[in-house]
Amino acid sequence: MLFPLESAIRADAKTVAESGDYDIVIVGSGISGAIIAKQAAEAGKRVLILEAGTGANVTLAGYDNLLTTFYSAASKDNQSPFPLNANAAIPRSPQLRKLQAGETDSSNYIVQSGPYVSDTVYTRIFGGTTMHWEAKTPRLLRSDFKTHTLFGQGLDWPLSFEEVEEDYRLAEREIGVSANVEDQQYLGQTFPDDYVFPMRGLPLSYLDQQVNKGIEGTTVELYDKTYPLKVRPYPQGRNGIPNPAYDGGKGYRPIGAVNTHQVEEGGRCQGNTNCVPLCPVQARYHSGKSLAKAFAVSGERGERLVELLPQAVASKVNIDPDSGKVRSLEVKVYKDPASPAHETITVKGKVFVLAAGAIETARLMLASGLRSTSGLVGRNLMDHAYLLNWALMPEICGTMRGTSSTGGIVDLRDGPFREKQAAFAIDIHNDGWGWATGAPTSDLLELVDDRNLYGADLRRGMVDQVSRQLLLAFMIEVMPVESNRISVDPQYTDALGNMRPILSFTVPEYTMKGAAYGRQFARTVFARLGARDHTHYDPSDYGYVAYEGQGYAIRGGNHLAGTHIMGTTKTNSVVDKNQRSWDHENLYLVGGGSMPTIGTANVTLTLAAMCFRSGRDILKSLH
Amino acid sequence: MDSSIKTLDELKEFLYRAMQLEHATIPPYLTALYSIKPGVNQDATQVLRVIVVEEMLHLTIAANILNAIGGKPDLVRPDFVARYPAALPDGETDFKVGIQAFGREALATFLKIERPAQRPDHLVGKDLIYRKTPPDITALASHPRHEDLHFYSIGEFYSAIAEGIKYLEAEAHEAGTTIFTGDRSRQITSEYYYSGGGELFPVTDLKSAQAAIELIIEQGEGDGGGIYDDDDHELAHYYRFEELVKGRYYQKGDQPGHPTGPHLQVDWEGAYPIKENLKVGDILEGSELREAATAFNTRYGEFLQLLTRAYNGQPNLLLEAVPMMFEFRNMILELVRNPLPGHPGKNGSPTYEIPGGIKQPAVARQAEVNA
Repeated sequence: MLFPLESAIRADAKTVAESGDYDIVIVGSGISGAIIAKQAAEAGKRVLILEAGTGANVTLAGYDNLLTTFYSAASKDNQSPFPLNANAAIPRSPQLRKLQAGETDSSNYIVQSGPYVSDTVYTRIFGGTTMHWEAKTPRLLRSDFKTHTLFGQGLDWPLSFEEVEEDYRLAEREIGVSANVEDQQYLGQTFPDDYVFPMRGLPLSYLDQQVNKGIEGTTVELYDKTYPLKVRPYPQGRNGIPNPAYDGGKGYRPIGAVNTHQVEEGGRCQGNTNCVPLCPVQARYHSGKSLAKAFAVSGERGERLVELLPQAVASKVNIDPDSGKVRSLEVKVYKDPASPAHETITVKGKVFVLAAGAIETARLMLASGLRSTSGLVGRNLMDHAYLLNWALMPEICGTMRGTSSTGGIVDLRDGPFREKQAAFAIDIHNDGWGWATGAPTSDLLELVDDRNLYGADLRRGMVDQVSRQLLLAFMIEVMPVESNRISVDPQYTDALGNMRPILSFTVPEYTMKGAAYGRQFARTVFARLGARDHTHYDPSDYGYVAYEGQGYAIRGGNHLAGTHIMGTTKTNSVVDKNQRSWDHENLYLVGGGSMPTIGTANVTLTLAAMCFRSGRDILKSLH
Repeated sequence: MDSSIKTLDELKEFLYRAMQLEHATIPPYLTALYSIKPGVNQDATQVLRVIVVEEMLHLTIAANILNAIGGKPDLVRPDFVARYPAALPDGETDFKVGIQAFGREALATFLKIERPAQRPDHLVGKDLIYRKTPPDITALASHPRHEDLHFYSIGEFYSAIAEGIKYLEAEAHEAGTTIFTGDRSRQITSEYYYSGGGELFPVTDLKSAQAAIELIIEQGEGDGGGIYDDDDHELAHYYRFEELVKGRYYQKGDQPGHPTGPHLQVDWEGAYPIKENLKVGDILEGSELREAATAFNTRYGEFLQLLTRAYNGQPNLLLEAVPMMFEFRNMILELVRNPLPGHPGKNGSPTYEIPGGIKQPAVARQAEVNA
C-alpha cells in the first residue's frame, strides 16, 4: 500500500547472480535472518536475503490475502493461511497418519521415518515461522543453560545466562515484548533494578483468573519438595501499552510492520483469538516488522543496503576445498509457485548465514554433503512435547476471549526433580478445546447433527458448551538425543529436485516420565477447580505413545532446535558460541538449531537473542 | 472585521470548533469505508481506513491543545456533531459534506475536504468571506463570533488558531505568565494512542502546540503543496484520495497530479447503494431498520460521551473505545446491507443524528486491553 518499498528492495535473479559484492548472504527471512540483516545494514553492510516463498506478503495487501485464505479455509490448522507451494513446501498436521512399526511415510513434505510421528511445523514464506508463532516470549531459566552439570541431563551451553542476558534485552526490544517484571520474577529469574519490558504486561484472561481462583494457595509435592501453584502471565511479543519507563524513561515506540506506513505497522492487541496462525491487525510481532526497518536503510549513495530475492530456494552450499570456506550458494529460482520450472544461479558473498530454521538449515547442509567434524549436523533434534488435557469448568468462564494464551502454571519449570523427569510449563488456552478436539467446529456439528438444535437453542447450546472449555497444554522439556534427527536421502526429493527432510524421532523416557506426571497433575488441578475431565487419548492417534501401561497423545510444539548444536569444540558441536560453523570459517548456522537445550521456554526469544550475538561476530569478521 | 483571536476564551472556542471540524470528517469517511462490499476495493479500503484513523488522531491532538490551555473538550455539546450535509469552506464558496456510499461522488467530496486551498493573489490580505448559511446547515470552520463570516479554507482557519496561540502566549509572557496552564495529566500520550497515523505527543508549551497544528495541516493537505509530509514519509490525504481517482500510486519524486507508481484497481460499483444523507425520520416507523438506525445513534452518542471523559482526565478510557469501534462496524453493516423500505434500489445508512442527554456508556469493567 501507499506506495510500497517492495519494488525498491526486490532483487532479480540475474542481477543477484552477477553481483559479487554482497557482504552477507542470508538464507531465510524469519526472525534470525531479519535480526542479522538489520544489524548489518545499520553497520553499512550490503545484504542479500534469499527467501523460498513468494514474498507476496511483504505488502499489506499480500498479508491481507493470507488472512482471506485463512478465513475461507475449511481446516483452521496453524498453516492454513499459507497457500500451497510445492517449490517451498511446508508440513501440515492434518495430513499426518499413524505409522505401522518400521514403516516410513513419504507422502508429505517431511518424510516421517518414525517410530513417533511428529506434527511439528514451520513456515517457508516471507517472515518465516514468525508468521504463525504464538508469540510467547519466556526466557530460559539460569539452570537451563547447565542442565548437564546440575541434573546430569542433556548438555550444558557454552554460554551462561549471564552472558546472554543483555542479548535477551535486545531481543525483547526488537520484538517489543509486553510483560511486567514483577510477574516474571519466579524460579530465580532476576532483572536489573531499572529494567522494564518495552510494553506493559497484557492482562490475564477471565479464564486464567477463574483457574487461578481455584488453585492459588494450593501446592503439589514432587520428590519431597513442595511447589506452590498460581497462574502467572506470560511475556508476549504482541503490542500492549508502551511502558513510558522503558529505556531509562525514554519510553518505547511500538514495532513497525510489513509496510513503512505507520497505520499499517501493527495495531494494539484487540484480543482476536486467532493469533495462531495469523493476527488480523499485526499486533503480534513477525519478522516482517524488523525487515521493514532493514529495507529502509540506505547506503552512502542512497542505495538500499538490504535486498530480497524471493522464490529462491538454496539448494547447495559450495565449499572451497582448500580453505574450507563457503565459496558460493547454488540457488534455484522459480518463476511460478504452480510450476517447478526454475533457473539455477550461483550467489557469492563474503559471509553466508543459514537462517532457514532447524530442519531446513540441517537439510541444506546434509544435502550439500557437509557433515561436519563432529558428525552432529541434523542430530539432537528437539521440540517440546505437548500433552493436552481438557475439561469442562463448572461455570461459564468466557473461553474464546483473548489471545491464544495469556497465562499459565509455570512453577514446575525447574526443581531438583529434573534429575529424574522432565520439567514442564502449562499453557492455559483461551481458545478452548480447539487444539485437542477441533472445537468449536466439532461442537457445532454435534449440536446440529446429533442434537438437532437450531436458532436460539443452538446459540445457547454453543455458549454452554464452548465457554466452559478449559485446555491445559503441558509443554514438556525434551533433551538432546543424537538419534532424534533430520537426515536426507536422494530417493525423497521435492518439486525442485531438492532432497526433502527425513525425520526420525522417539519421545525420550525422561520426557515421558514428565508427561505421565503431567497427566496426574492435570487431574489434581481439575479436581481443585471442580472441572470435569474430558481428556481422552486415542490409540489410533498419530502421536500416540504408550508408557508404563498408559497411553498418551503427544503433540509437537513447533519449537525446533538442536540440529546444528552449539558447543565448546569442533568435536562436540557444529557451531561455536557465536553460531559460527567450526568447519567453515565464513559460515554461520543460526536459529533454534544451535540451542543445546530448550528447557521449558518457547525458543524464539532465545534464538533471537543469540542472533544479536552472531550479528556482532559477523560484523567483526568483516572488518 | 478583525478575524484574529484576542482572548483565551475565544481561543478555546476556536479549538472546540477545530475538534468539531476534525470529527465532522469521520462519519463520511467511516460510512464510505463500511459501504464497500466484501472482497473488492482493497486499495480503497486501506486508504479510507488509514485516513479515518488519522482524523481520529487529529481530533485527539486538538483535544490536547485545548487541554493544554486549560479548556474542557466537550464532544456532547448539542451542536458538536454536524448535521449532514454540512458546509465546509472551499475558497470563496463552500461545499457540502454528506453521508454517502463509496464512489466517484464521495471521492470528489473527499478531495475537496482535503484540498489545499490558497488565496489567489488578488484576495491576499483580504478578510473573511461572507456567506449566508441556512439555519439547518452546520457551517464548519466558521468564525465563532460571526456565524456568517467564513474562513477562505481549513488551512486559514488553522492559521488563525496558530496565530492566536502565538499572540496570547506572547501577551502572557510579557505579564510573566503563560497560557499553557492545563493539567498535564489530561494530555493523551502515545501510551494510550499509537500506531494511529502519527506520534501523539503532549502539548505543554508554544513549541509543542505549533508542532501539533502543523501535524494536522500536513497530514491533510501536504506540506506547502508537496505530496509528502515533512518526513518525506507519508503521503498527504489529498494525494491518497487522488491515487484512487487516477488509479495509480504516487512514488517518491512524483509531481502533484502525476502519480507514476504501480497501477491500482478501483471497482466503482463495489459499494452498497446507501441512501445519501438519510434521516431516521425517513425510515418506516416500527421497522427493524429504523430500530437499528436509532440504536446506532445512541451508541455513537455514548462513544462521544466516553471520549469526552477520556479527554477530561481519564485517558485510560480510550482503551474502552476500541471494542466500541468494533460495534460500530457491525451496526453500520446491518444498516448498509439492508434495503430501505419505500426507496427502491437504496439501502439503509447510519444517520449520525446524535440524541442529547446521553447517559454514561455501558462500560462497567475497569479499562483494560482485551488480551
